[in-house]
Amino acid sequence: MKIVVSFKVVPDDQDIQIAGDGSLDYSKAHQVVSSYDLNAIEAAAQLAASNDASLVGMSVGKAAIDDSKLKKNVLARGVDELFMTADDACADMDAYSTASALASLLTKIDSYDLIICGDGSADNYAQQVDVQLAAKLDLPVVSSVTRLSVENGVLKAERTLEDVVEVVRVALPAVVSVTPDAALPRIPGMKDIVSAGKKPSDVSAAVAAYTSGIEVLDCRAPKQAERRGEIIDLSEDGAVARFAAAIKAAQ
Amino acid sequence: MKALVIIKGREAAAKLCSAARKNADEVVLVVIGDTPLPGAVADKTLHIALPTGSVYDDAADTIKAIYDAETPDFVYLEATRSLKVITGKLAAHANTSAIVDVLELADDVASNRYFGGIGQRSLKATGAKIYTISVSDLPDGAASGTDLVEEASWVAPEKPLELVETRPIEKSGTDLFKAETVISVGRGFAEEAQLELAYALRDKLGAGLGCTRPLTEGVDWLPRDIYIGVTGLQLAPTTYIAIGISGQMQHMVGCNRATTLLAINKDKNAPIFKQCDVGLIGDIKEVLPALIEAL
Ligand SMILES: Cc1cc2nc3c(=O)[nH]c(=O)nc-3n(C[C@H](O)[C@H](O)[C@H](O)COP(=O)(O)OP(=O)(O)OC[C@H]3O[C@@H](n4cnc5c(N)ncnc54)[C@H](O)[C@@H]3O)c2cc1C
Repeated sequence: MKIVVSFKVVPDDQDIQIAGDGSLDYSKAHQVVSSYDLNAIEAAAQLAASNDASLVGMSVGKAAIDDSKLKKNVLARGVDELFMTADDACADMDAYSTASALASLLTKIDSYDLIICGDGSADNYAQQVDVQLAAKLDLPVVSSVTRLSVENGVLKAERTLEDVVEVVRVALPAVVSVTPDAALPRIPGMKDIVSAGKKPSDVSAAVAAYTSGIEVLDCRAPKQAERRGEIIDLSEDGAVARFAAAIKAAQ
Repeated sequence: MKALVIIKGREAAAKLCSAARKNADEVVLVVIGDTPLPGAVADKTLHIALPTGSVYDDAADTIKAIYDAETPDFVYLEATRSLKVITGKLAAHANTSAIVDVLELADDVASNRYFGGIGQRSLKATGAKIYTISVSDLPDGAASGTDLVEEASWVAPEKPLELVETRPIEKSGTDLFKAETVISVGRGFAEEAQLELAYALRDKLGAGLGCTRPLTEGVDWLPRDIYIGVTGLQLAPTTYIAIGISGQMQHMVGCNRATTLLAINKDKNAPIFKQCDVGLIGDIKEVLPALIEAL
């Protein structure tokens, strides 16, 4: 069995600065794997391990996603091999174009049984690429999966929706997206990182031009409420009493 | 202009239909499965009966057929997990992408959150206009329409999911929207037993208890329906006390409309200290017992 896990590379949101005009400044932010895609990679690695399957990672994005540290980080998480389309033609794509680009990348992977996506990316959290990819490939899709297993070519998945948990079954191949509940990301050890450097990765340019069906007119940080910013240190005299008084005054 | 509105819950019907009515003279509502049919909120309601053993998502092919037959100028879908699957399938069918979780929409310009609320974007669909909107982002609206209901004929998907079992999720029963004071706990709580301190503070203050998303996922310390943030509850209490919470925007979006925001964190550089009215730098283990005592 072969499992493919799809992940998005995004600027680390903890290092996004707000410029004077309210626009977002990414210049200090490193490229990282979008946080819930780390959960997807872990869920995929665990499923691969328990089914003796191989695990391929794939991503499409701008040229800068071809980053050796980032690739090692992914390959150190139980991923055997990596395929990427890294091209500025693939920057800021919408879900429809992302699905097209992923589908072309998949043609390099001769066969696969299951494609696993994350719950939603840190930037858009649109929860659409899994569905659009399945539509493009004409495969069934199961979203919001919190637990999954495969038996005799059939996927059994538990999906956690707003009010109910659904247990569903579908024959492979299929696309699923898993929520962070499915698995907590491992912390790769030194050995994993060293061996990751020896694993194959295939990075290439885009094979097509992509247009977005969504035009971005503006992006700005919303105004935050003014806050007093009175900070008390526990070591100060009467710190707790002052904090307690602040709570009472607020109530 | 003609609008197609697709909902899952009954509350959404009136809200989405009245929002749609602002931009459309004809509103067609689609209701799937055994959701009770709302009163007269649209000019026509199409009901899709779900065959036994089918999931909501598998109504997508029927909805694609409705879309082709009705040729609406825009589509609103309620932002739920199942309808987001239908959204994606419908958008793929229309060779485009949907604009999701819309906060505001005027003159075809939609805004939604970017990076969990760090930014807000203004977006415009260049192709088919398909939007998802969360019920909690819409005001109550008086929808108008007729009682006309038509049964849609089921278009069977080629590769359906087989529904094996459905279990209701037990809700915590707390309504944090009603609480004037909310205390909220984060990963600063090192183990489940330590939550006892938070429960004691909650009881002392007569407060509601919420948490960050990580405390409901992977670990099952607290029920999912009390987590606060961009993908959870968005509250505006009088007093919000964040305990052991770093202050990532994804969480702060759910509490930054509080009148007074207080924080307890052992790291003086935690981002939450830049976003609070009063902060206390200290360890939960020391602070909470002393605070309960002092209140
Ligand atoms: C797409 C997406 C959507 C998300 N949606 C949400 C959402 O809706 N809601 C949400 O909450 N999160 C959401 N998140 C996660 C969010 O980004 C943060 O990871 C999360 O809010 C952090 O939770 P935390 O503050 O509890 O944990 P951490 O960030 O780990 O912070 C723990 C804090 O506790 C402090 N601490 C540790 N020990 C102690 C101690 N003994 N005493 C006092 N302080 C201590 C630390 O200094 C630290 O600041 C989302 C993430 C993504 C990618």
